Amino acid sequence: MKSDGRDKRALETPKLLRELRALRVAVFHPQDSDGEQLTQQLQRIGCQVQAFWPPLPEPPADTNVVFLAVRPDVIKLEFPWSKAENAPTIIAVVNYENPVIVDALLRLGAKSVIASPVRSFGLLSALVVARHVSEQARTKDRQIARLEGKLFGIRKVSEAKSILMETRGISDKEAYQVIREQAMSKRVSTEEIANAIINANSILSFKR
Amino acid sequence: MSTEPIRVGVLFSDNDAVSPSETAHLKGTLFAIQEINEAGGLDGREIVPIQYDPHASAGHYRVLAERLIIRDNVNVIFGCFMSHTRKAVIPVIEKWNRLLFYPTLYEGFEHSNNVIYTGPAPNQNSVQLAEFMTSNFGARVYIVGSDYIFPYESNRIMTDLIQQRTDGAKVGERYVPLDATEKDFVDIIADIKAERPDFIFSTVVGNPTQYLYHAYAQAGLNPKEMPIGSLSTSEAEIAQMGGEAAAGHFTSAPYFQSIGTQNNRRCLESFRSRFGGGIQPNQTWEAAYVQVHLFANAFRQTGTDVIDALMPALLGSEFEAPQGRVRIDPSNHHTCLYPRIGQANANGQFTIVREARRPVSPDPYLVTHSLGDWTAKLDK
Repeated sequence: MKSDGRDKRALETPKLLRELRALRVAVFHPQDSDGEQLTQQLQRIGCQVQAFWPPLPEPPADTNVVFLAVRPDVIKLEFPWSKAENAPTIIAVVNYENPVIVDALLRLGAKSVIASPVRSFGLLSALVVARHVSEQARTKDRQIARLEGKLFGIRKVSEAKSILMETRGISDKEAYQVIREQAMSKRVSTEEIANAIINANSILSFKR
Repeated sequence: MSTEPIRVGVLFSDNDAVSPSETAHLKGTLFAIQEINEAGGLDGREIVPIQYDPHASAGHYRVLAERLIIRDNVNVIFGCFMSHTRKAVIPVIEKWNRLLFYPTLYEGFEHSNNVIYTGPAPNQNSVQLAEFMTSNFGARVYIVGSDYIFPYESNRIMTDLIQQRTDGAKVGERYVPLDATEKDFVDIIADIKAERPDFIFSTVVGNPTQYLYHAYAQAGLNPKEMPIGSLSTSEAEIAQMGGEAAAGHFTSAPYFQSIGTQNNRRCLESFRSRFGGGIQPNQTWEAAYVQVHLFANAFRQTGTDVIDALMPALLGSEFEAPQGRVRIDPSNHHTCLYPRIGQANANGQFTIVREARRPVSPDPYLVTHSLGDWTAKLDK
C-alpha cells in the first residue's frame, strides 16, 4: 500500500513501553537453554529479572510479571498466588500444547504464551501485550465491582421507598424525599438509610 | 594444516541500487578481505568472497542467503542494508544456524544469537543528534523520512526527546516513498518554509536523500538558521548531491572520513590505492570493513568459521577500527562505538564538531532515551 505521506505520525510512546525498565520480573523456569534465552532477553529489554527453579511458593513481593514454565511436571502443582486480586501477570512458557497443558494455562490465568524453543524475537511483544491485557482486566473488574455496588444500592432504595409508601400512604416522590432528607441530616448515604428502613420494617412487621 | 580457502558470503546491492551507502558496504567488505589475503590470509588460508547482488529486493536477499548456505556451503555471511532485507535473511540464518554480520545503523529492538550488529543503535546516534540540535538551534522540529520502519522508530525517539525540552514541539512529520524523486519534496519544503522549525530531522535514506537537500537549497533556506540533522546522510550521499547542497548540515555517525587518527588515514590510503577515488568511504563502509576484521581475528583464535565455536571468540572481542577501538558487547551482540556529530563542508566532507572520548555501549532495547545523559553530551 502506498502511503500518502501523512499517516504513521510518531505518537507519544505508550506508558507500558516507557515503564519496561522498572518492571520486576520473576522467571520460574529451569536453568536450561530456554531459561537462559529468556532471562538474557529480559535483561536486554532492561527489566529487573530474578530466576528461580523450582518455582517459589510465591513470587517475591512487588513482582509485576511471572514467566512460568508450564510443563508436564508442574501442572499438578497449585499456584494459589495466581488467584490473588493483585496477582502478577502470568506468561507461560510451554513445550507442549496438548489439551492437558492448554487446560493448565487457562486455570493459571496466563495472559500470554511463549513457545519453546525460546527466541529473543517475540518476547517483548508478548510481555507488553500481556501487561496490557492484565491492566485492562483489572480496570474492568474494578468497574464491574463499582457498578454492582451501585445496582445493589438502587435496589435497596427502591425497596425502602415501597415500604414508606405502604406504611405512610405517601407517593413515590415523597418517599424518596424522606430517604434523602434523612441521609442528608445524618450525613450518610441514601443506601444506608434505605437499609435501616428495610431492617426496621422487618422487625416491626414481625410484631404485627 | 588446511590450506583450503575459506568461503564467505557477501550480500549487498551494488551500483547504488537504492543507496550509495549499501555500495559502500560492499566495497568496505571486499577491501577488508583483500587486505587480509594480502597479509597472508587466515593462517595461510585465503578468504574467498562469494558475492551475489540482491538488487535491494527482500525476496532476493532471502533466496540468495539460502543459496549461499546450501549451494556454496558458506558459514558466514556479511550483508544486508535496509531493515526489511535483514528481517528476510535472519530466519534463513537461524534455520541453518549460520552467522550474519550486519553493518548498518538501524532502529534497534532486535537480537538474534546468529547475528553480530556493527552499526549504531539509536542510543549511539539519535540521542546525540537530538542533544546537539536542540541545544544549538532549538527544539521545534520538522521531521521528514522515508516510508519504512527505520524512520518510524527513529522519529518516535526524536519526538520523545524533543518533548524533554520546555520549548519542544513537532511542527511537521512527512514521509516520502523509498524511490522518491524531486517532486516528492516540493510540497514538503513549502510546508517547512511556512512552519519555520528550528531544525529539520531527516530520516530520508538512500538515493532520494539528494533531492531533499537540493529542494532545500533551491528554496533558499539557510542551514545557519534551520539546518537538517540526519543519521544517514554520509559522504557517499553527499558525493551524489554535491558538496554545496550539503554544506552546513549535520549528521550523527560513529565514523567520518575526516577522523584525524593515523589509523584512519592509513586505512583510507590503502583503500584508495586499491579501489580508486570513485567510492566515498563513510560510516557503512567502515562498519563493513571492521566486521570482516572482527571475524578474521575470531577465526585465527578458533581455527573455524562454524558459529558455535566462533561466537564465544567474537563476543567481547575488540578491534582497532578507523573510528577508535570498538568492542562487541557480549550481552546483546551489538558494538560499542564512538558517537560523533559532523557538519558537512563544501568539499563533501564533514568537520567533526563533537565526539565521544569514550565508547558508548549499545542499548538496542532502550525505549525511553534521555537528553542530558553523559553519552548524549559529546565533547567539543
